[in-house]
Amino acid sequence: MRANFIFSEVWIGLRRNLTMTIAVIVTVAIGMALLGVGLMINSQINSMKDFWADKVEVSVFLCKKNDPFPQCKGSGGVNAQEQAELKSTIEGMSQVESVAVENAAEAYKNFRDQNANNTVLLSAIQVEDMPESLRVKLKDPEAYGPVIEAVKGAPGVSNVVNQKELLEKFFGLLEKLRWAALVVAIILVFAATLLIGNTVRLSAYNRRRETGIMRLVGASNLYIQLPFVMEGVIAGLIGGVLAAMLLIVSKVFLFDGVQLYLSPNSQLSWETVASVISVTMVFGVLICVLASFVTLRRYLRV
Amino acid sequence: MIHFDNVTKVYANQNRPALDHVSVDVDKGEFVFLVGPSGSGKSTFLRLVLKEERPNSGAIHVAGKDLARLSNFKIPHLRRRIGCVFQDFRLLPNKNVYENVAFALEVIGKPRRFIRKVVPEVVELVGLEGKAHRMPDELSGGEQQRVAMARAFVNRPMILLADEPTGNIDPATSIGIMKVLDRINRTGTTVVMATHDAAIVDSMRKRVVELEDGKIVRDQSRGVYGQAY
Repeated sequence: MRANFIFSEVWIGLRRNLTMTIAVIVTVAIGMALLGVGLMINSQINSMKDFWADKVEVSVFLCKKNDPFPQCKGSGGVNAQEQAELKSTIEGMSQVESVAVENAAEAYKNFRDQNANNTVLLSAIQVEDMPESLRVKLKDPEAYGPVIEAVKGAPGVSNVVNQKELLEKFFGLLEKLRWAALVVAIILVFAATLLIGNTVRLSAYNRRRETGIMRLVGASNLYIQLPFVMEGVIAGLIGGVLAAMLLIVSKVFLFDGVQLYLSPNSQLSWETVASVISVTMVFGVLICVLASFVTLRRYLRV
Repeated sequence: MIHFDNVTKVYANQNRPALDHVSVDVDKGEFVFLVGPSGSGKSTFLRLVLKEERPNSGAIHVAGKDLARLSNFKIPHLRRRIGCVFQDFRLLPNKNVYENVAFALEVIGKPRRFIRKVVPEVVELVGLEGKAHRMPDELSGGEQQRVAMARAFVNRPMILLADEPTGNIDPATSIGIMKVLDRINRTGTTVVMATHDAAIVDSMRKRVVELEDGKIVRDQSRGVYGQAY
């Protein structure tokens, strides 16, 4: 096998079909990038779910002085007795694992930690602005219903926030995005397959003299078909490299950007990105090879 | 070398067979003319030898191989032992004489050093010395056919098939082409030439196999084209 012969043939083929080749590269690049984004969203959802699984709590916020919540109007804030009663009610429920009291100072500290970069916000909020709350940890995060029922509207409670519900809305959105990316990716993969088929067909037609003579003098099928398949592979590889670049850009600017607001500890790791890139790369090249072979079988009789 | 035993070939969508129970033997080193009117089955015969077509019935042996039992994978190896020349030359217009001949060796993976050695020899054998760097469109029809013969012969095939090689060439030039074919035949290569050219057949006095409507109507050693023509 003479590599330079094959490569010169491949180069000629790619140059002759330049516009088709570009179309293939662009389609493969976008298709693979969307497939990769879908996979990345998927792993993001999983790692975020893991991260939050043992952290989701039901927060029972308590009234503070001059609290704007209507339930708290005129109460002058929760008193120690109400707070103790609430705590023991909740602790007595079978679904509850533990209850912790977060006082205003702790709340302020957490708030400062989470918004360390936002000096304007930090300077505006004082310790007195932070409400006290009861942090209820459930044995089963799904069984939040009775707990919320029990404390909502109880004296001294300003508001109940179920983190689980908030997260679920967000995860639902992410899952929709993932499916959208995957569906568009599948459509583009289909388009790419047809484009590659057409490119190979054009290429086979352009070079029918050469292939005819190769057949006649007894060149092996591999030798005759390899230049065409290589054309597909190279277009696929270039598309894959572009897709990889798009994926890296989307990790840095999209995923990491969203991360800052959500769960700082479940960042999409570079290992995940690398494995997603290799999966899309292999998949893209594989599609190109298959499409080339199928077309060649039809248009390059041996 | 070529052995046809009761071979019948019917093309799809045609009632009349292109070859009808043909049996013929061509020995090693023979020179055989295949004559007959258009559509008599000459080209089908050549295509069957190359296994470009499969017979509907009968057995074909080429160079000791039973073609029916030759897997698709092995067909290229069969074709490496058979050279082919056509009426329309089939040269690559963007390659010069040397490159056209070398192409046949490159694509079967021969080493470069071997190619550099044998191509000039063959170019000289067909009488094109000094023209190795001409492009096909700078050559006459006769010269182009010599290039095609050089390409067919460069891998030293056991068999050379020629399908009306003088069909596009004037009679005077044809004599030169026949001399090259004769020279190739003298190296021990079996030559089968399909032709319409009565003058050439008559002048060469070689074996003549005449086909008509897919049947062999005459097989004569040292024959002529035929009284009817």
